[in-house]
Amino acid sequence: MNNINHNIESPKEKQNRHKAMEAIKLLNTLREDFKAPISSMEYFYDLFERVHCKHESLHDDKTKIGTMCIQIPSEIIYALDGVPIRLCNGFYTDDEIGSDLMPQKACPLIKATVGHFASGNFTDKPDIVFSPTTCDQKTKAGVTIESFGYKLIDIDFPRTKESEASREYWRRSVKQFAVELSRFQGKKLTRTSLKNAIKKIGYAQSLYHKLSEFRKNELVPILGLDVFLVTNAFFFDKIDNWIEATEKLLSELEIRAKEKITVSGKASPRIVYTGSPPIFPNYKIPLIVEQSDAIIVADETCSSNRMFNDMVAVDEWNIYDMMDSISDKYLKACTCPIFTKNEDRIRRVIQLVRAYKADGVVYQAFAGCTVYEMEQRSVLEAMEKEGIPIIYLESDYSPSQGGQLSTRVEAFIESLKNRRRMKK
Amino acid sequence: MNYFVGIDIGSTAIKITVTDEHKRLVGFKINASGSMFYKYAKETLQSLLDELHISQDDIAYTVATGYGRKLFKEADENISEITANAIGAQEAAREYGEIKTIINIGGQDSKAISLDSEGNVVNFAMNDRCAAGTGKFLDVVAMNLEIGVDELSDYHFKSTGTPLSISSTCAVFAESEIIGLLGSNHSVEDIVSGVHYSIAKRIVKLVKRVGIKENVYFDGGPALNAGLVHAIENELGKKIFVPEYPQITTSFGAAVLACDAFKNMPEVEREF
Repeated sequence: MNNINHNIESPKEKQNRHKAMEAIKLLNTLREDFKAPISSMEYFYDLFERVHCKHESLHDDKTKIGTMCIQIPSEIIYALDGVPIRLCNGFYTDDEIGSDLMPQKACPLIKATVGHFASGNFTDKPDIVFSPTTCDQKTKAGVTIESFGYKLIDIDFPRTKESEASREYWRRSVKQFAVELSRFQGKKLTRTSLKNAIKKIGYAQSLYHKLSEFRKNELVPILGLDVFLVTNAFFFDKIDNWIEATEKLLSELEIRAKEKITVSGKASPRIVYTGSPPIFPNYKIPLIVEQSDAIIVADETCSSNRMFNDMVAVDEWNIYDMMDSISDKYLKACTCPIFTKNEDRIRRVIQLVRAYKADGVVYQAFAGCTVYEMEQRSVLEAMEKEGIPIIYLESDYSPSQGGQLSTRVEAFIESLKNRRRMKK
Repeated sequence: MNYFVGIDIGSTAIKITVTDEHKRLVGFKINASGSMFYKYAKETLQSLLDELHISQDDIAYTVATGYGRKLFKEADENISEITANAIGAQEAAREYGEIKTIINIGGQDSKAISLDSEGNVVNFAMNDRCAAGTGKFLDVVAMNLEIGVDELSDYHFKSTGTPLSISSTCAVFAESEIIGLLGSNHSVEDIVSGVHYSIAKRIVKLVKRVGIKENVYFDGGPALNAGLVHAIENELGKKIFVPEYPQITTSFGAAVLACDAFKNMPEVEREF
């Protein structure tokens, strides 16, 4: 046996190579497969390539605060001189690693997140991880992650949001989070630092809102896929770089809008995307949608719209008021299906359909993401009542399955085109 | 004379249909998809044209559909099999009446499609996770029972007992279930009718998701099996319409679409 000369890759090398392949495949598709590419998107393509293919670290000089969900307030992390790194993961390679550690039917997002921790392949390894007790699987995943030697702190999150009690409860949790982080950082939370952090994130949010306005145009100047990439970059990018790149993108979109340059076809149906979050590089369904001559004009997902939609509304810039306002943004405005009732989410989807003049809704749930799977019923019923066409799709991170899914998506899009023709 | 071609490259079979300008069926051909979708599709088309004595130049417009639709680059257009199926069913059943619901069982998936009064697809449901309750499943069952797929119907109607319950419609698990039933001395006839009823129950569940509206149209290769048709009618409590050539509804739909697309094309473009 010894005469056969070949190298055996270490698991880490193999995983990194597979992840780089997943990343570059998607990035090249985005760069090459669509008409009228936007030149300022190159910053974002390049960013993902640097991190996932060239394994470049972005935050060597800072303490990296890992977050397991959007509910951990970035404002407080920045105010305490840390960098928030959102660890929700979209890699199939990590999903496969996590499959050995989680139940078979668990959600791929959480399997991939756990798998990522298990592999330890971080370009920016989190120094501490905060895990809000949102969905069951994320809540329980904390213990598994701790067992690999990471420092992880649970943050209590309520599963109802209507009552005053739950609001109080969450405000206490956010205070507790600030205390824990301030202890870890050895720094005090000050009025000025918190105010500056709120302002900075608020500014980033305002850029997202401007970006969204362009998507209301009849001639849409940017792909939904590109917007997902921009918002996903906010998970880990240096915030100042992100702001600069997004400003550039906005000025290019301004020109494109004037010159009537569009990425969509003549009759491309406009889609609102909702459900389990598309996280780089798992853009499977958005890719099928936009490759089937439809255009995603808005979304209601936690990896994109939900991160930016609602601002922290402060009355008095004192620290207590700021803390309460931050807490409210992450609870009251949240439309995650983990909550008992979720009329807010239905309202938001309908509102997006109206505001962005969408022809239909694509609702995607990860197989194993029980809450999104369950909420499908009420959302579908509500859309039917409103006369809004909707398709429900179940998918996971596996690269196969494309054929069947694209048949369904294409048939849905063809039916939307037909509806439009009939209306005329 | 202009002819129009619909090519349906399915998981199991390639179906090609040729129509004339009046959307009338001129001829069709069915071949196994095998491992080389594109090559076999081209060969099938050529042999069909030879049989019909039609030259390539007389083909005005071609529409491809089915899983392999994107592989057939020569097509002028490609369309999902759901839309093609809907169009084909309405055209094929024109004399029978207005079709509102379509059941399609293919080689590796099954679908229920619901149409509005204009014939647009309003909703559809698909079982696309595995070969459960599809044509492939019937193949496996027939092989286990050592009978031909075309004999399934005869066996179904000869069954005298209560149809046996086959709880699994998974092609792999059903095999062991059928061996179990044979082991407890059940007749092949009763097993066959049990299999048909288990598929029927599954498909009716799918149809209920989109709503059952009359008339109901049933197509796909397994629709040739009268025993299965009987079981579905019983489970549905309604008569269903099966066209003369149920395998080619979708490719026929693609050809009909080709006619329409050609007619809607500006004169200038038609020259090329």
